[in-house]
Amino acid sequence: MRKIIKHFPSILFSLALLTPFTSHAEEPANIFYGFQMEEFEYRYGESGEELFAFDGDAFIGSDELKLRWEGDGEFDLNIEKFETLSNQLSLQTPVSDFWDIKGGVRYTSPQGPDRWYVAVGLSGLAPQWFEIDTQLYLSEKGKLSADLDVEYSVLLTNYLTLTPSATVDVAFSSDREIGVGSGVNSVEAGLRLSYDVWDRIFSPYVGVVYERKFGQTANFVEAEGESADIWYAVIGAKLMF
Amino acid sequence: MKIKRSFLSGVAGVTLTATLAVSTAIAFAAGNQDGHHGDKAATGEPGKASEVSRTIEIKMFDAYYEPEDISVKKGETIRFKVVNAGELVHEFNIGTAATHSAHQEEMMLMVEHGVLEADKVNRNMMKMGMGNGMTMDHSDPNSALLAPNETAEIIWKFADGEELEFACNVPGHYDAGMMGEFSIE
Amino acid sequence: MRKSLMRVFSLGLMASMSTALLPVLTFAGTYNLTVDKVLIDTGDFTKEGIGYNGKSPGPILRFNEGEEVTINVTNNLEETTSIHWHGLILPYQMDGVPKISYPGIEPGETFTYKFPIVQTGTYWFHSHSGFQEPDGAYGSIVIDPKKRKPFRFDRDYVVQFTDKHPHSGKRIMRNLKMASDYYNRQQQTLGDFLSDVNKNGFEATVSDRLDWGSMRMMATDVEDVQGFTPLINGKGPEQNWTGIFNPKERVLLRLINSSAMTYFDVRIPGLKMTVVASDGNYVQPVTVDELRIGVAETYDVLVRPKDDKAYTIFGASMGQTAYARGTLAPRDGMSADIPEMSIRPLLTMADMGMDHGTMEGMDHSSMRGMGSKEDKFYAKGSGIAPTAANGGKFLSYVDLKAQKPLYKEREATREIELRLTGNMERYIWSINGVKYEDADPIKLQYGERVRFKFVNETMMTHPMHLHGMWSILDVGAGKWNPAKHTISVAPGTTVYSETEVDATGQWAFHCHLSYHADAGMFRKVVVEGGPKTASLTTTGKGVPQ
Repeated sequence: MRKIIKHFPSILFSLALLTPFTSHAEEPANIFYGFQMEEFEYRYGESGEELFAFDGDAFIGSDELKLRWEGDGEFDLNIEKFETLSNQLSLQTPVSDFWDIKGGVRYTSPQGPDRWYVAVGLSGLAPQWFEIDTQLYLSEKGKLSADLDVEYSVLLTNYLTLTPSATVDVAFSSDREIGVGSGVNSVEAGLRLSYDVWDRIFSPYVGVVYERKFGQTANFVEAEGESADIWYAVIGAKLMF
Repeated sequence: MKIKRSFLSGVAGVTLTATLAVSTAIAFAAGNQDGHHGDKAATGEPGKASEVSRTIEIKMFDAYYEPEDISVKKGETIRFKVVNAGELVHEFNIGTAATHSAHQEEMMLMVEHGVLEADKVNRNMMKMGMGNGMTMDHSDPNSALLAPNETAEIIWKFADGEELEFACNVPGHYDAGMMGEFSIE
Repeated sequence: MRKSLMRVFSLGLMASMSTALLPVLTFAGTYNLTVDKVLIDTGDFTKEGIGYNGKSPGPILRFNEGEEVTINVTNNLEETTSIHWHGLILPYQMDGVPKISYPGIEPGETFTYKFPIVQTGTYWFHSHSGFQEPDGAYGSIVIDPKKRKPFRFDRDYVVQFTDKHPHSGKRIMRNLKMASDYYNRQQQTLGDFLSDVNKNGFEATVSDRLDWGSMRMMATDVEDVQGFTPLINGKGPEQNWTGIFNPKERVLLRLINSSAMTYFDVRIPGLKMTVVASDGNYVQPVTVDELRIGVAETYDVLVRPKDDKAYTIFGASMGQTAYARGTLAPRDGMSADIPEMSIRPLLTMADMGMDHGTMEGMDHSSMRGMGSKEDKFYAKGSGIAPTAANGGKFLSYVDLKAQKPLYKEREATREIELRLTGNMERYIWSINGVKYEDADPIKLQYGERVRFKFVNETMMTHPMHLHGMWSILDVGAGKWNPAKHTISVAPGTTVYSETEVDATGQWAFHCHLSYHADAGMFRKVVVEGGPKTASLTTTGKGVPQ
């Protein structure tokens, strides 16, 4: 099981490379690529917590099939360790005008034990411009979990954007080793005000983030002497190129 | 007796020719509705056939005239033989830039009412009223409105001219250059 | 032989005297072009691009009707290039589209085009490789007729528009694929919401936003790409291209839209324009105050500046985000006032192809499309139907009537429906829902008369261009329908055009918005049958039947 999961990325990658040559006519498909950081910030918590957090992705591929890397993490600047760190490689394909499905492999490697997961997800644009991204994970330990991410952009001007966002993490069975309890694990809500300084390449922002852990997960965290709900002030920049 | 008869036949002959001339001239001029043609005195007036000093042939093409300049003497009476050698409807109209401008608006109305098509003149529609007491009758002695291949004759006596032009007032033609100048000495 | 050479030389001499400022190649028969990397200076920014004979725009190629031209094109780039002669009737191997006409011109290679000129008028040429055309690879063509022209002018100028962007074409395409609204800085903001609430009330505004939100489309999506500097003959508004005239002269302006994505609303305050040709073919003269020139279209207009003063040639982009500006003046160094752009138009539900009763209570502050005479080539109630800024006459396709129809009128032998489709969010553009790479070629039979039915199911205006054969646009004028090479189809409308299939070989057929064509709004047309000889003679096109 582990071996297949470990080799999954390379299998997916080679499949992706084949796409240009599997299209119908003599014309090869156009290949596009992009990179972005939706979050790239310094977080200062109400009790002096200091984190560096990032959430980004990159893709390469055609309209029909893309290879996508997604990464996110929180690096504790005080203890100099990653609180959370996740890297995922998936193949993504459209299923409708506004929705894509993706499937791939995810590897989490924060402080503590690492985990491999198989991931399937759905991402797209819901009516009224809500950006949705939701994934289901099956870990190598046989544990099932999921997350849902919702984001909305309010244009204050054509360059000044207010972005409320929310992420919910849910686990269907607990995994004590990595501090995950069953049920809703955590909710992270953010409100960021960004300004497009240079095209859409570099948009610095300030904002607030509220993170709250629930149930068993909260217990685990409190047992280690940390707070289960924290407000942060954040400053960072969105990147896209 | 003999003299009388010849005189009568002479008169008859002239009348006949005149009628024939009028009937072969399948040309009608713009409506005589209002004072558009008020400056007739400066433009000149319809001439008498007997006073014609020379005949000038005017060929109308799409969208230009041959010739493009004509010199006339003050008081001269000229017979213009106008032929439409093009594929579109054209007009030969003697007037000033101002009268031409006004006439272009009238012609635009004729186009909008379907009286004037690109290559046809619906003369039967011209007598129709436009609902304001006016018709689109095009029958002025200073102009000839011709479909392709039609011909007409205009006899005109030139007065002391201001800047006199001959022009086609079918919408767009004047602006495309279908006009020429009379230089009056 | 000598006589015609002399005639050509004297014509060439007159041509070079009458067309100032742009380089003109006038030697009979053989012309040489090099494709080079050039530096383009718009006045707002400089950028490396691609040009011909060391410059962008490239030269004005001046041909004579009946001439057999030989054009040697040398590729000094490090990538393949090509040159397509836009609007010219010629053997398909000379049409210049890589993979359809020929493999393209390799770096260092010289390709020789050889074909007879069977038409007259104003045309243009451009690269058909990658995004070289938006990067600067375009020029113009003026073909003088054997017979006298049907209008008079004392001098003529090429007035070529483009939309030069600080980003290269490749980069723009990649950015559009990452975020289709990357270049739209005219989106509706919170401020717009509040002012709409003020004007139309809370409910109406929320209802409007919800309508568009449910479709996930933007009413502000008039221009895909913004942020460019419009140029006239390679000069930005500050650099001010100037054409000299003597008062009372008739000046022929050969308007060419060589831009990648932008339609221009062109007017010359103080002067009316008399349109005498469209896409190279004579039309019955029609005098207007303003006209919209679509991408790849050409219009020949006559103006007669009477006063000894300068006039501004003003071309506002369709979305009113930028303007092109030049001057007509009796002497160098003069300039006239530059008019203001109009308020930015917003698409309406009518442009979406929907007949919404909820139009009442909407803010019609732009008042566009609601003028007294609605243009039937725009959806009824369209937000982008143009009106003349001075309240006068705005040219409509309905006003274009052939002066000398190229073909006899007859019934079409069959109809082909082409739905113009796309997905703005993914920036995918297609025909009948299928991208070029996934589509079969359109097969036509030599000798038939095909009626193309363009159904625009998108909210963008697409200039559809068929290579090699004329598209007779149905404006409802029967035998006087004009023959064009590029037909603009407004959102939410259906437009018909007919083509006499009289050119063998294979031809490109595509939307001329550069990034749409690349995204898939493109087809190959294969003409089966016809004379076997791939000769350089074409069969009687341009000759009235």
